[in-house]
Amino acid sequence: MWPFPDCQSAGFTVQLKPKHPQSSLMPKRLSALARCFLCLLVLSICAVAQENSAAAASATEFAQQIVARAGNPQSMSVSFQNISVLLPEMQESVQNAIFTAFRNANVRLVKPEQSTVQTEIIFSEDWQGYLWIADIQSGANKQMVMKKVPRPERAASAKAPVLTIRKNTVWQQDAQILDFYLDNQQLVLLEPTEIAIYAGDGGQWRPRYTLAIVHPESWPRDLRGRLIVNGSQLTAFLPGTRCTGSSSPPTLECRASDDPWQIDSSGLAGFFSPRRNFFTGILAGSSAGASVIPFFSGATWQSGDLKQWLFTGTDGRARFYQYDLSAPIAIFSGWGGNMAAIRSPCGSGTQLLMSSPNDSVRPDAVQAVEVLGREALPVSTPIELAGPVQAMWTAGKNSEFVNGVMLSPETGRYEAFTLNVSCGR
Amino acid sequence: MSAAVASLALVLLAQASSRPRYGGAAHIVLRDRVNTLDPLGEEDHPATRDRMNALIFENLTSMDAQGRLRSGLASSWRSDASKRVWQFHLRLAEFHDGSVLTAADAVASLQRSMGEWKITAIDRQTISIDATASAPHLPELLALPRFAIAKKTPENTLFGTGPYKFSEWQAGERLVLTANDDYWGGRPFPDSIEFQMGLPLRDQLLERQLGPYAAAELTVDQLRSIEQTNQNIMISRQSDLFAIVFLQGDDAAGRGRKPVDPRIREALANTVNRGAITSVILQKRAVAASGILPQWLTGYESLFPGNNSMDRAKELRSETAALVIVPPIALAYDASDPISKLLAERIALDAREAGIVVQPFGEAHVGNKQARSSLNAGAVLLRLPLAATEPSVALAARMDEMGLLPEHSALNLKADQPEQLFDLEGKALQTFRVIPIAHSSQAVWLSPATHNWQQSPTGSWQLDQFWVEGAR
Repeated sequence: MWPFPDCQSAGFTVQLKPKHPQSSLMPKRLSALARCFLCLLVLSICAVAQENSAAAASATEFAQQIVARAGNPQSMSVSFQNISVLLPEMQESVQNAIFTAFRNANVRLVKPEQSTVQTEIIFSEDWQGYLWIADIQSGANKQMVMKKVPRPERAASAKAPVLTIRKNTVWQQDAQILDFYLDNQQLVLLEPTEIAIYAGDGGQWRPRYTLAIVHPESWPRDLRGRLIVNGSQLTAFLPGTRCTGSSSPPTLECRASDDPWQIDSSGLAGFFSPRRNFFTGILAGSSAGASVIPFFSGATWQSGDLKQWLFTGTDGRARFYQYDLSAPIAIFSGWGGNMAAIRSPCGSGTQLLMSSPNDSVRPDAVQAVEVLGREALPVSTPIELAGPVQAMWTAGKNSEFVNGVMLSPETGRYEAFTLNVSCGR
Repeated sequence: MSAAVASLALVLLAQASSRPRYGGAAHIVLRDRVNTLDPLGEEDHPATRDRMNALIFENLTSMDAQGRLRSGLASSWRSDASKRVWQFHLRLAEFHDGSVLTAADAVASLQRSMGEWKITAIDRQTISIDATASAPHLPELLALPRFAIAKKTPENTLFGTGPYKFSEWQAGERLVLTANDDYWGGRPFPDSIEFQMGLPLRDQLLERQLGPYAAAELTVDQLRSIEQTNQNIMISRQSDLFAIVFLQGDDAAGRGRKPVDPRIREALANTVNRGAITSVILQKRAVAASGILPQWLTGYESLFPGNNSMDRAKELRSETAALVIVPPIALAYDASDPISKLLAERIALDAREAGIVVQPFGEAHVGNKQARSSLNAGAVLLRLPLAATEPSVALAARMDEMGLLPEHSALNLKADQPEQLFDLEGKALQTFRVIPIAHSSQAVWLSPATHNWQQSPTGSWQLDQFWVEGAR
């Protein structure tokens, strides 16, 4: 059996992995489908239960306000009108909570002709949430009670988890995140004005230090940054600036610099424009001496004996190189600007995670792609994100993760997350 | 394999990449002509001026595309417990003349906008605003265009701190802005933006080709021809209010022009066929209005009576005519706006059915609040933008613009709860000095080369991430 999600836990996080996968008697395919179905069922039940419970609490408070505003009458007639998108089952739940609250306040609910107090309750809404309105008529006296009720957040996407890309949220905050580093002991966030270091403590990240990034010039728009952590040593690359320091003891020193940024752990490095959001195309590290067109993201990987590179150019086209960087052997159009390579036990062993080519103010999607010959093939269905991707960098000791950052338009918060690829579909 | 490649192409659409690119010149077409960029100057089309000014000037606070309050030139703020006295801490920023923004600059600018407040500099980077009464939404209010921070030189030149600097200005014709390389929030992506004002777009629309433009404001009657060609159009929520506003209040009797009898005002409100107006003239891009603020913003507009009974209108007109002579109502509309002309003519037509004579006439300065007061008209047909997504601020701004509040007294609105706002709006409506007609959408055409164009729920443009394909 699988652990059922706790309805009280934030975000309805569900563990999909069976505790004893080998002990399952179901065929593998059926087992996966059954898990999916069960998971969706549990998600739905939990979501509805939570929404109903929150709405019932608001309803009780609303009813109490109505009774107080109406002058604590002994009896009252109540009618309802729904001009919002409140679902019928939730409306019923709210109405029941209101009735209960009236009874608890010793208010008898009667027909309109039997009471001097008539209340019409209207379930309305504005663009951000519900507005519940009580129009109380007591003889010639008319009173209004209005209560704003937040609209419950939409439940997690009910898509079947056939994706081979898995996303794990690491951290969320209001301040912009440019890049981050994560291991079992620490979480290090690169922000425009500081490096924030958190230590693991009983499953929670607790702030330890913040190290200020001092720089004289204003940052370019669409600011990007790269954080490299090696033991306690910290290196942060920002446009025209390089910061070095350590997490223990906490120190950081920043200076104007055009040093190349380390793009991945395979040794690919490139010079970054000091006042823009792209790499100039002049490469360093293992590809030193070569130059390509200006690019947003780059990756290099080995396919057998063959070395390969892919760069997403600032002209919206991605260029694929094999063996050397003298000329691209394939050019792909319509790709997103964010891309990172990832190692996995699946397929050819290396996939490229690509963001979508949507405008960067719209929710993004990430898809795994493999380049075989001169063709790019999708090897996963896209994983949809709640916001636009701000950064994607290869991470992990063996490049088995991609660290990503996105900005949620709904909450206005930045989210650091990791992506990894698993073989099952 | 080819199917797989095809599916990739579908997923990774044939559009450009997601990361913004620098460079290029963006040409934007605006519907109206603007004659001054002074945020506090007299202007016939202040909403259009504010669109351009948003790139040049900044406020202490701002609202994002989701209607959330964000920091602007103020990096932080706090208030006392009564929310009457507020302190704003300024970030490090420079005016376009190279001088550093100081608290003294902000104080001088805000005093020009709101003389009733007690505004003082606490130190070089901090100002204090005593609103003289509780003002719970003061930070949202300060995001309104009229509170833009501008440095005025003795020669009356204005400098802002925004992402773009003035380059060329031909009043009523064009404005060219260039990217501010030293902008505190980072240099904007395009090298320049050129606004062209008052282009009718008739020829371009006939040819179904808006060619070199990055974006063009459209009127609702232009939408159909564009939509048929499957082009990229952004349509806002129904944010603009068309309303008849009577220029003389009942308390103005004996002074100047005689106010229109309140019963006739109510009768006129009942004659307006809002259904026909929204579906025919406004091409179903509008909803009938019964309140000053739209239902989607407040949730309570539907509680206001619709006032659409021709019988009631005839009854009121007869009652009034039995007692006094009912003079014709001179209704001024914006002469440069063909939609307003159609609306005014339709209103006159409906009114005639109840025996009320409405005489519509085009006027150049209907949108200019100061000039409007001296118009030889009983009423004006206004198109009012939605200034904010915070309902109390939006209501204050609209009532102020309609002359339903004394000058500069937006902060008299201390209302914070929906009931209070509903009461306040209800009181403004019950005198029939304002007759809401319709809440209408705004529309903008976008070139395929235009990216990250954002429109807030109020219809205002958020161009901080905007970029165009072209030179890098």
